[in-house]
Amino acid sequence: MTTEIENTVRDRHQLRTLAVAITTVSVALCAVAVAIIYAIALNRLWFLHFPLGFYLLAQGLLIFVVVIAFWYVRVQERIDHTRSLNEEIA
Amino acid sequence: MSVQTRQRTPNPHLGAYYGIVASAFVSLVVLLAMAEQLGWTDGTVARLLILIPLLLYLAIAVAARTLDVEDFFTSGRRVPQVYNALLLAAITVGGTGFFAYTGAIFFLGFDALAIGIGWACGLLLSAVLFVPYLRRAGAYTLPAFLGQRFRSPETRLAASAVQVVPTALLLAAEMKIAATVTALFLPASYWLAVLLVAVFVAATGILGGIRTLTWSGSAQFISGAIGLSVPLIVVGVLLTNLPAPQFTYGEMLGSLQSAETAAGMSPVEPGAIAALPAAAPIAAVKPFLQSFGAITESGFFALFLCFTLGTAALPSLLARSGVTGSVADQRRSTAWALLLVALFVITAPSLAVFAKLLMFRDMALIPTQGLPAWLSSLSLGQLAQANDLNGDGTISAGELLISRDGIALALPILAQLPYVLTALMATAGLGIALAAAGSHLFTLGASLADDIYGTLEQKPIVLPRLMTAWAAIGGCAFLVAIYLFIAEVDALRTAVTAFAFAAATFFPVLLLAIWWPRCTAWGALASLATGFAVLFLAVTVGGLFGIAETAAGTAISSLVAAVLAVGAGVGASLYGPEPAAFDTAYYEAMRKPDGETIVDQAQMRAASAANNEED
Repeated sequence: MTTEIENTVRDRHQLRTLAVAITTVSVALCAVAVAIIYAIALNRLWFLHFPLGFYLLAQGLLIFVVVIAFWYVRVQERIDHTRSLNEEIA
Repeated sequence: MSVQTRQRTPNPHLGAYYGIVASAFVSLVVLLAMAEQLGWTDGTVARLLILIPLLLYLAIAVAARTLDVEDFFTSGRRVPQVYNALLLAAITVGGTGFFAYTGAIFFLGFDALAIGIGWACGLLLSAVLFVPYLRRAGAYTLPAFLGQRFRSPETRLAASAVQVVPTALLLAAEMKIAATVTALFLPASYWLAVLLVAVFVAATGILGGIRTLTWSGSAQFISGAIGLSVPLIVVGVLLTNLPAPQFTYGEMLGSLQSAETAAGMSPVEPGAIAALPAAAPIAAVKPFLQSFGAITESGFFALFLCFTLGTAALPSLLARSGVTGSVADQRRSTAWALLLVALFVITAPSLAVFAKLLMFRDMALIPTQGLPAWLSSLSLGQLAQANDLNGDGTISAGELLISRDGIALALPILAQLPYVLTALMATAGLGIALAAAGSHLFTLGASLADDIYGTLEQKPIVLPRLMTAWAAIGGCAFLVAIYLFIAEVDALRTAVTAFAFAAATFFPVLLLAIWWPRCTAWGALASLATGFAVLFLAVTVGGLFGIAETAAGTAISSLVAAVLAVGAGVGASLYGPEPAAFDTAYYEAMRKPDGETIVDQAQMRAASAANNEED
């Protein structure tokens, strides 16, 4: 019975980890891809004295990626903590 | 008898130590700035500002020396997350990023941004996909992890063999940059400078492996960060009145466009100029803000993805995955490294914009005010040369040849700042290059010693484990120095090839090994072999068919090789027998987020068994 519960806890942890990993990676890569595809069009707009397409690739997306990285760290630590707690209870 | 869990408490005085290191470095710069005003020659100022920090790094390495195997390979698994991040950032950017990437932005503007954002996304992928699991596994090297994951010495040997190419290429690029800077500022020929750099990085690695590299590398990073930011902030204040160049250089873009037009620059077509500028002095002909002028949109995306996958799976970065106290610390450490790399990538365009604006704004004034004073200083240092080829009394953009790797050094000269700031920029770049070179050399040497010699010679009587590593580190440094004597190395082009090899060879096999429980040793071997072979063929004989001739071509080839490698790994795994129960158990153990590493658990079990036998 304990093994069954442990397996459930493990599978749930792995599923949530996989979901967070896919979300993090795909959001970052898609954001960069969109910025590259629309760079020329975005460069017609200006933001903080920068053409927007240039700004996104030189600064905006880097700030976004850093924010995503720390968000991921926080969420993954919470998922790991939940697994540790559930395993202790089991 | 039970075996105690090891204590992983970091030194509580580290903050004070590195505060002293930073203060000492700043004091040295201030003293030399005063000495320059008192009449000391430029040469003396530069030599002292480069040699004294080098002695400091060496002293730290001697103080951190070790003969303990765990300290040598993992620094005792007790490096605080931020200190490890300093090294991860230095390895990612390196001297190549410091000098060649800033130069590439100067020449290509918008088109060079693919590399910087590739580094940042690569570290994100590394933190999400690989680093926590490698920390949990606890293997000393990347090939050792693959060997343990599949219980396959053949996979370990193959991974170690193919790891030589990207690691040695990056080592050559970093040593080339470090030797060039050394030869420029010290009274030494290029050949002597190469030898000095090789001896320095080999000594740092041999004294204490990853432990000495961590502590001297942290000092190198601190001096690198100070040395980059001080001259840039001073120029930023002079041009924009604000000390935040990253956010204020946008105001200068209008002036830059006017200066570029006055110098005769006009939009270029892809293929008209090289996708990445060469190291030899060339003319800057592409307007800074022009999108996709030197490189097509697809080439830009391929270069970005190549650097993303290459950074995520770079062996020198992943070799540091076991040095912090826990899985969570290692993950956070990679996030901190990403923050530091992003800061550099955000800063680099401001440096390029300021340098280009100062240069071409003064060039437009030549008919009325004569040649600018900085031109003779840059010509003396072989950073730039100008010739009025058409005899019209002006120097246009096409008549001014500029050295790509000298843009960072040229900025303080262009702004007519005291010479101490030029020397400061040089010592900063040199520090970062040495930190990166030391890590690449250690990764290469440790893998050859531990993965190849250690696997082939199960009971090493002739050479014990650490002595093998010392010999391999010294031998690799010597061989790369010889390579630099006989070959002309373009640091940026070499780095592109190295990241391409990491992307094609290691990203697919790590993805399968860590995220697919069905992957087998045969699948891993097939993936490694396919990725490496396809890219190797593209790089070596692809030139005959117009493949991988340019940086974008190499990037596209690496992506094709990576896709084929994933396919080969999946196919071979499904075709062969299912993984053994042990492999599945290892896969599950690797995903547990807490507790000691798998390697340490095995060592503790072995020690416990030995103690029980003695009792």
